[in-house]
Amino acid sequence: MPIVLQNILIILLAAEMAWDTGSGGQIFNNWPVTIGLVMGIIMGDTQTALIVAGTLQLMSLGVAGIGGSSVPEYGLATIVSVYLAISTGANTGTAVAVGLPVGMLTLQLDVIVKFINNFFAHLSQRYLHEKKFEKMQWSFIASVLVWTLKYVIPVAVVITFGPSIVKVILKVIPQWFTDGLTIAGGMLPVVGVGMLMRFMPTKKYLTFLIVGFVFSAYLQLPILGIALLGAAAAYFLYQTRVKNLSQVQTAGTSNTNQGDDYDE
Amino acid sequence: MSEPRKLTEKEKKAMYRRWIFTAGLGYNYETQQAPSVAFSMAKALRKIYPNDDDYIKAMDNHYKYFNITPQMGNVILGATLAMEEKDGIKAYDAVQNLKTSLMGPLSGVGDSVFWILFPTIMGSIAGYMALQGNPIGAIIWIAMYVALYFVKMWLFKLGYTSGVRLITTLGERINIFTDAVSAMGLMVVGTLIATVVKVYTPLTFITGKVKLSVQTGIFDKIMPGLLPVGLAILVYWLLGKKSWSPSKIILLIIVISLAGAATGILGITPTK
Repeated sequence: MPIVLQNILIILLAAEMAWDTGSGGQIFNNWPVTIGLVMGIIMGDTQTALIVAGTLQLMSLGVAGIGGSSVPEYGLATIVSVYLAISTGANTGTAVAVGLPVGMLTLQLDVIVKFINNFFAHLSQRYLHEKKFEKMQWSFIASVLVWTLKYVIPVAVVITFGPSIVKVILKVIPQWFTDGLTIAGGMLPVVGVGMLMRFMPTKKYLTFLIVGFVFSAYLQLPILGIALLGAAAAYFLYQTRVKNLSQVQTAGTSNTNQGDDYDE
Repeated sequence: MSEPRKLTEKEKKAMYRRWIFTAGLGYNYETQQAPSVAFSMAKALRKIYPNDDDYIKAMDNHYKYFNITPQMGNVILGATLAMEEKDGIKAYDAVQNLKTSLMGPLSGVGDSVFWILFPTIMGSIAGYMALQGNPIGAIIWIAMYVALYFVKMWLFKLGYTSGVRLITTLGERINIFTDAVSAMGLMVVGTLIATVVKVYTPLTFITGKVKLSVQTGIFDKIMPGLLPVGLAILVYWLLGKKSWSPSKIILLIIVISLAGAATGILGITPTK
């Protein structure tokens, strides 16, 4: 594939990702493995792309779920890391170590974009009051375009300057440093795990956490099998508790049917 | 004041699609997702309110602060549309009340299901497969996202037909559902600690002729995955009791890894 076409497709992917994740997930969202797969197809090396993306995916687990706090943009980090890994031949550790900071810096753009869109929100409402209803809708679409810039700008910069910079870096960094980054790559998924444990009822369901650990650490069961066992447990829990609930409801005086005007 | 007009099935769907494909875009700090709500409602409300003044008043309602898990927004907008269609501008206050009172509880459910549980379970499976160069997990995930479109449509219809009543009758069931799926999620998290988090030390003690590898000779004997478990507990504690930000923890881990690599205390985990 000609480089120019490749670059255009990567920038379009960045724009798609902004729309996709902003609207709550339509096709790929901003998950490293799904974005990484597309990147791999564009770059013509799905194997490398999936390994880099898989590493980032495991790092991002749980971290991506939380709005508001400053966590790196893992989807963007995936585009950058995969691009650099394939175009410069950097190893996974190095590619991720360059991609992750770019993902962190992008957060600043996110802030700026949300600030700019404040202006468009007001503009749109002003058009409403001036009875310019078509313009009202167009000013919203303008804000969507601004929204996509938060991913398009960093990706465009990386495509333009990235490979040459990374090649220079690769020549100067010592062995212990790349080793250290690879070690960090192995440890970083713990951040996501920690976040997940914070967000889930970990204390209440500690049993399930331990069971999952034992199945995996001692019995080496594959993750899909453990997920299925978890689904069985979840189904059982749901059924028993709904049964309890309906017993409680029939016992008490039920007045849920009164509702209000907007029932139907 | 003119009577509100009913929307056709096609017009309703057009309004739904507008929200599904733009929810959360145009996000701003002041009113958050409100511009998307206004955009979604713009055409449908024009049909309901042919009178300019009513239209402007009704639209103003939707420029007010709105923030919810995009998928769950479907339920609220469905209910809102039904109310406006039925009572027109008289529903003005009720619409706003409905929106503000449902945002919180529905987001609570939506965030945990759509942003935490689903990505955790699918992410660990797909991520794990990807590490072996296998795209199937990622492809399944993409297929599930595409299929979610129909779930979102269904949530709209649910909101439109059942409105407020939905929350009172289904509310407790939804909580139980979230809770039960959390158990599944935690089982996967337990697996992740053992498989995905990798900490390894190449240190060896040499006393006379006896060599003892710290990793295989001591740590692995106590419990497989002892170091990852310790690290997970540390991070859990830093996030909670110390309220560190994830970024700070990421930097800490990178610094520890670099120091560990330089001194030889930490090493790259050998592949089995």
